[in-house]
Order: sequence, then structure tokens, then C-alpha cells
Amino acid sequence: MPPLPDPNGVFLNVPYDEEFSSLYIAYIVGLCQLGLVPHMASETPGGGRRLDRIFEHIQSCRYSIPDLSRVELSVTPTAVPRFNMALELGMTITWQKLHPSRHDWFVWESEPYRIQRSAGDLNGTDACIHNGTPDGFLRELWSAFWRETMPSVPRMLENYRFVNNNLNAILYKKGTSNPYDRSVFMELCWISKTLADLIRPTGSAARKP
Amino acid sequence: MRKPIHLTAPPPTLEEMEKHFRIPKARKEELQALVDEFKAMLSNRKDAPVNSAEPEKRRKRASAA
Repeated sequence: MPPLPDPNGVFLNVPYDEEFSSLYIAYIVGLCQLGLVPHMASETPGGGRRLDRIFEHIQSCRYSIPDLSRVELSVTPTAVPRFNMALELGMTITWQKLHPSRHDWFVWESEPYRIQRSAGDLNGTDACIHNGTPDGFLRELWSAFWRETMPSVPRMLENYRFVNNNLNAILYKKGTSNPYDRSVFMELCWISKTLADLIRPTGSAARKP
Repeated sequence: MRKPIHLTAPPPTLEEMEKHFRIPKARKEELQALVDEFKAMLSNRKDAPVNSAEPEKRRKRASAA
């Protein structure tokens, strides 16, 4: 049996594509604002099998956030569905069923009822609908978790915009155009956590939408 | 509607997070400059609620008016 999971650890199971990068930044910033610690498969160095690394993250994090909004046909002459997210969600569900006190998961989608069409067996699961926008994501995140001290959605958006506006500068310094690169991910986590600590509300200011 | 999950474990400190997200000292100093810029922005603005509309939407509304 693996050690107990990090109670603040969240495994982000999201597509690594350019169109998703704004939401990816919102995921990192939003989770850090709630005092959670994002993790991704790409953060682990080494050449191990990707699926093994993903399963290790699922086991070591208390929560998983699989985003199914990009489960769609690829844009190639021989279009095939993108199954990675769904495959990894299956692993997550199995782990949670075996160890319900160790893990919990939330499915994220861009449109209401899309999940019923793409994965009908998930009927009865309340997906978090982010409408494909950072605003929508942060609003849903705010509803999905509750902490005594958490910033308002506008405050979270403010932090998101600041980090997103500085993404190109971070990429330039790292000599990459890939925001999902391991070192970029770590810097985004660091700066998001630092900004979150600056605006963490206390007492009566906490949890105003 | 699913009930929100109540997070009871204290949030990690920056030092705890840094153990995992190792960033070279020189680079951290550069990133700290960005944080200072954010701090200055917070201290300079009036404490009005932040408009959640995207800047693009706001620009469009302003130009339509």
C-alpha cells in the first residue's frame, strides 16, 4: 500500500495543447489560491512509463481533476478520438472505489450534458462546467471546494490575469514555447502560491463570492 | 448538486511547496520581481471590486458605447 496521500495534493489531468493553456494557468492559479498543490504527469523527471507516473500521482494526491472538455476528434486526415483523459479517469475511479477515504475526483467539462454524450456511464455524476473560460473555471472551483479562508472569485481572477499576462516572459526565460514544460509548470506553481499568500483573506473577509 | 469539499488540512507554506517545486535561487529572484510588481499594483489601486469581464469584452462594450 502506498503512503497516505498529500491532503492538499491535486492531480491535474488536463490536455497538453495550446488552446487549453489559458485554462491550464487558471487551474494552477485557482488551486494555489485555495491552498491546494497542483501536480501534473509532466513534473516528474525520468523516462518511466507515462501511465505509471500518472498512477503514482493519482495515489499520492487526495484529489484528481480530470478535464474531459477536449475529448474530441483530432484534427488530422485520419481523425481519431482523444482517449487519454477518459482512460486516466477510469484509473482514477478504480483507485477511488478501492480506497474511498484516500481519493476523490471531480470531472470538468466545457458544456452541460456533453459528458452524458461522450461517457454515458458517468450519468449521475455532477460535472463542473467551466464553459471553456478561466472565469467559468474559477467560479466552479470556488463552488467545488470550501475552506475557511478563501479569496473571492474576482480576486482569484485578478491573480490569474497577472500570471497569464506574464506567461510569455516566463516562457522566454526558460527558452521554450511550451507552457506544460516541467520547469515552467514549477515556476507557475511557485508564483501562484506566492501571489495567493499575498491576498489570502482572514476572518470576515473570507469566502465572499 | 454536489456538496463542496471542506478543506481542513492547513495550506502548505511556501517553504513546504518549495521543497517540491525546486527553483534555482537566481531565477527565484527574477520571479520575486514579478511578485513585487503585483504587490505594487495591489497597493496602488483603490479597493474597488475587480470587474470579472474579460478585458476584450470590456473593450468591445466601451467601443460600442
